[in-house]
Amino acid sequence: MAEAEAKAGLRLRRAEGFAYWTVIAPLAACLPAPVAYRVACWRGEWTRRLWPQKRAEIVRDLRQVLGDQVSEEEAQRLARELFRYRSCEIMDLMRLRGSARSLTKLVEIRGREHLEAALAGGKGAILCTGHFGSHQSAFSAVSADGYPVTTIGRWDWKYDTTVSPAERRFWELAYSRRVIRHRRRPHLEPWPGRFQVAVQAAAALRENEFVTICSDAGPLGAEQARSLEMPFLGQKARLLPGVVSIAKLTGAPVLMVFIHRSADYQHQTLEISPPVSMQGDTRTAFERVVAAIDAAIQRNPASWNLWFETDVLARLGLVTATPPAETAEGELQQSTR
Amino acid sequence: MEAVINDYISRELVQDASLLPLENTTQLLETGILDSLSLLRLVIFVQEQFGIVVDDLDLVPEHFASVDDICSYLRSVSGGKAGQASAGG
Repeated sequence: MAEAEAKAGLRLRRAEGFAYWTVIAPLAACLPAPVAYRVACWRGEWTRRLWPQKRAEIVRDLRQVLGDQVSEEEAQRLARELFRYRSCEIMDLMRLRGSARSLTKLVEIRGREHLEAALAGGKGAILCTGHFGSHQSAFSAVSADGYPVTTIGRWDWKYDTTVSPAERRFWELAYSRRVIRHRRRPHLEPWPGRFQVAVQAAAALRENEFVTICSDAGPLGAEQARSLEMPFLGQKARLLPGVVSIAKLTGAPVLMVFIHRSADYQHQTLEISPPVSMQGDTRTAFERVVAAIDAAIQRNPASWNLWFETDVLARLGLVTATPPAETAEGELQQSTR
Repeated sequence: MEAVINDYISRELVQDASLLPLENTTQLLETGILDSLSLLRLVIFVQEQFGIVVDDLDLVPEHFASVDDICSYLRSVSGGKAGQASAGG
């Protein structure tokens, strides 16, 4: 009985997700921003109610990682925001159509002078962030502003053997096609075995371009050996210092980039930091990078997308692993770690 | 050229001492000696040492599978000049 209910719930969520991605969000994205993001928030609220297991998982993980900083009530509030933000991020993606003007007019970029200074330096720059807010769309906004941007990141659906060819095609059309339009070069995907990624990133930097990277991705099996245990969110997490290695080898500056969504859900602020010091050994320099990501998450926990992905939190060493049923196929969801 | 490349990889990139001394036929990718970042270090070294810029399109496993393969590839793109430069000092 319970199993049948769970399957029915899963079917309903997948149907709802498909409808939102293919019909509702694309249409709503053409409406004025206040209406579009109101629709996104309604949808976020709807999915939160539709998916109590995920809601409970997020609340549990928030409390497990952030401990006494977050009460039960606060964790519930953050979970609600997470669901809303997630739907708003899809709306952001839909507003990347054309020149992306309908999104960029809602995004204020602070620290543009650091981008200009990096270009003047002639070695490009690494724009480093976490899985924070609408980061993919934010980088698209930077690109739409005329800056050459290429992204290092994994699109899991391309490699996950449980994803059907039809679903893979869906994500190509619904997600990656929209993002890639605003990138200088094809996505650089650091999946184990793709050994050319760092060289390709260095080539982009050599051409005085920007390369973006998320430094909070959980290391996969083969990557564990070169991950470092770092202080992160009050705990110890295993993280990959690739950003520092590439910066040290190429001489490119590392700028931290975080996007924050305002209380009206439609406007966002993209904050770009001055270059992070790469002085000292890899661990020392990487600690500065991780501290910046940590501070951004602590400032606005609801913007960290990885609360949705317990398996990644487990790989990082922040939470204990849980049964994968709800994380692997709980809803039609894109994953860009 | 083989000696220069072998020496660099042995000195800078091999993490597992049991893989030393490194044969020129040792599989660098399969043994994990070369990964994304160590390949970048190697490419930068090759550029500084031999003046050869590795094209993105040439980043295929066949060119970096072993020291022998790397040297064959470098000779093919440099028309043999790299090997002579190295041999000359």
